[in-house]
Amino acid sequence: MSKPQVLIAANPQNGIVWSKEEQNSKLGAVAEVLELTSSSREEFYKDLSSGGKYANIVGIYRHNDSASAIGIFDKDLIEHLPKSVKYIAHNGAGYDQIDIAAATAKGIEVSHTPGAVDAATATVGAFLAISAMRQFYRAEVNVRNGQWKSGLSPARDPEEKVLGIIGMGGIGKALARRLIAFDMKVIYHNRNEITPPPDFPCTYIPNVEDLLKQSDIVSLNLPLNDKTKGSFGKKQFDQMKDGSVLVNTARGAVVDEEALLQALDSGKLFSAGLDVFPDEPNVNPKLLQNDKITVLPHMGTETRDSQKKMEILVLDNLVSALSGKGLLNQVPEQKK
Amino acid sequence: MAPKILLMGELFWAGPDAEELLGGIAELVPMKSQSREEFFKDCAPGGRYSDIVGIYHEHLSDKIVGPPNDELINALPSTCRWFAHKGAGYDSVGVKAAKARGMGVSNTPGAVDEATATTAVFLLIATMRRFSWCEANLRAGGFNPPGVEESARDLSGKTVGILGMGGIGLKMANYIRPFGCNLLYHNRRPNSLAPPDVKYVSELYNFLGQLDVLMVSIPLSEKTRGFVGEKEIRTMKKGSIIVNTARGPVIDEEAMIKALQDGHLGSVGLDVFTKEPEVDQRLKDMKHITLLPHVGTENQDARRKMERTALVNLKEFLTTGTGPNLVPECQ
Repeated sequence: MSKPQVLIAANPQNGIVWSKEEQNSKLGAVAEVLELTSSSREEFYKDLSSGGKYANIVGIYRHNDSASAIGIFDKDLIEHLPKSVKYIAHNGAGYDQIDIAAATAKGIEVSHTPGAVDAATATVGAFLAISAMRQFYRAEVNVRNGQWKSGLSPARDPEEKVLGIIGMGGIGKALARRLIAFDMKVIYHNRNEITPPPDFPCTYIPNVEDLLKQSDIVSLNLPLNDKTKGSFGKKQFDQMKDGSVLVNTARGAVVDEEALLQALDSGKLFSAGLDVFPDEPNVNPKLLQNDKITVLPHMGTETRDSQKKMEILVLDNLVSALSGKGLLNQVPEQKK
Repeated sequence: MAPKILLMGELFWAGPDAEELLGGIAELVPMKSQSREEFFKDCAPGGRYSDIVGIYHEHLSDKIVGPPNDELINALPSTCRWFAHKGAGYDSVGVKAAKARGMGVSNTPGAVDEATATTAVFLLIATMRRFSWCEANLRAGGFNPPGVEESARDLSGKTVGILGMGGIGLKMANYIRPFGCNLLYHNRRPNSLAPPDVKYVSELYNFLGQLDVLMVSIPLSEKTRGFVGEKEIRTMKKGSIIVNTARGPVIDEEAMIKALQDGHLGSVGLDVFTKEPEVDQRLKDMKHITLLPHVGTENQDARRKMERTALVNLKEFLTTGTGPNLVPECQ
């Protein structure tokens, strides 16, 4: 019997980047691997339909880069997938580009890559927290412009300040471990208190407002979905301490950008560290021109090491599912 | 009349501490000399500072009277028995002349540790992950710089070596630990305070050859000028990184620049340079490195701690005859 077909819907030019060998040896052992060649959504729909080259695919390896060719996995695209599709294995911890409800309705199981992203993303969070407090972006611009310390005002230490983490998942915990070493005090909010408690000192705060009132640095570490979209806005900024710092390595759309700009202008926020924006790769020029903050172009896991870890985890999810053992990292919404 | 302490420079944050520590014990006299020549006159017999018993020195005063080298130390009145320098690095202070005339010199170790170590860890992350390049690219209208995934690396599992396990080195080790790096250190002698998971490597070239990142944390002296030179850099792995928060001249800057140009060094993170505030244009033109203008302790909390430590040394000198941070050269 022929092997089930798996479509690699990743970067339209390169496909899987760091794990071609494993793509052949691991996935190739249990599946016939097809690469995405469709250059538009319209063409993709044709390729998915009866008689098309992807008409019988059982699994999909999905990376956000595929969106540049075929768009995101919204309801419309998912409804165009052939009945044969059972699994979408997503490369990324955040999977807001996939309509989970639509997938579930079609009996498609979706996995993501938690864990594999934690260290690298938490390192970005720690970097942004330190850089924002210490005003290191301005300082570097000064050196490169030949101005040395001219115009720089004294910055602040992260040491002994309060770090408030919203979303104490894998990344939140990894961030807490990093910044606790700098003598920061960690408090957190989560949908539920974590039990047993994490293996580092931290305090659960059941009410977000209380967390905001106590924090010198607030870090957003929660997923983007219908409930969290735009959930951090004027009300939340008003509740933050004067002169505090916001760090966002989650998703840009969790934050109301107008409210963020207001909070920066008014001095409510001393600074911010942002790795994510609502409409990447487009970024509000007002943020790009603000030299009191630190910004990065979604670098959370942009290293060959993490990219490879994530690719392998996606392949492992597919191999596990196709071998009858089910997905390894099915998304929480589907695990009821 | 209260003994006079000359204030060379300014107290930015520790005004209240000065009141608390020296109030009633000494008079803090701001230096008004407008030039080095005038300062020497002011210190000579009959001059307005000819009866000072101690000095609080911070480097901004060097702009007016020049560095407190042997020549300046020898020009001080004989009544001056203590020179409290604000700063951990005291390579600008004439300790030879001070020792010869039996004058104590103190610095401010400890007060700088956290802020400097934090700066060092920032540089470690920024260089491994190529963040300066990324941020500059983003602000110029791009997004991920093309090819950054090739050179940017995770910190997890990488080998980081701390050269100089003093107060700052110890803090660095604790800050770096949760990032999952393998930690080594090299020092003149093993430090009993070093945590067990930071392995001592006694032979310098054995140490250098194992590293993905070298964190430089040794003081500048005649012995350590150019300590990290051509041979040491080439002993390191291709693509490795150097972070320097100590003093620029500890590294042979020319050798470092060459190694960056030919790719032997993957990146460098520098808070210090050979001739501050000048920075070599070749460094300023490199996108893949990270540069800071000696801001290791440029924040309110560290600055105040440093100022207070210098004041404590003066208070202890006045009340007991010696201060807690007498530098080794003057012991």
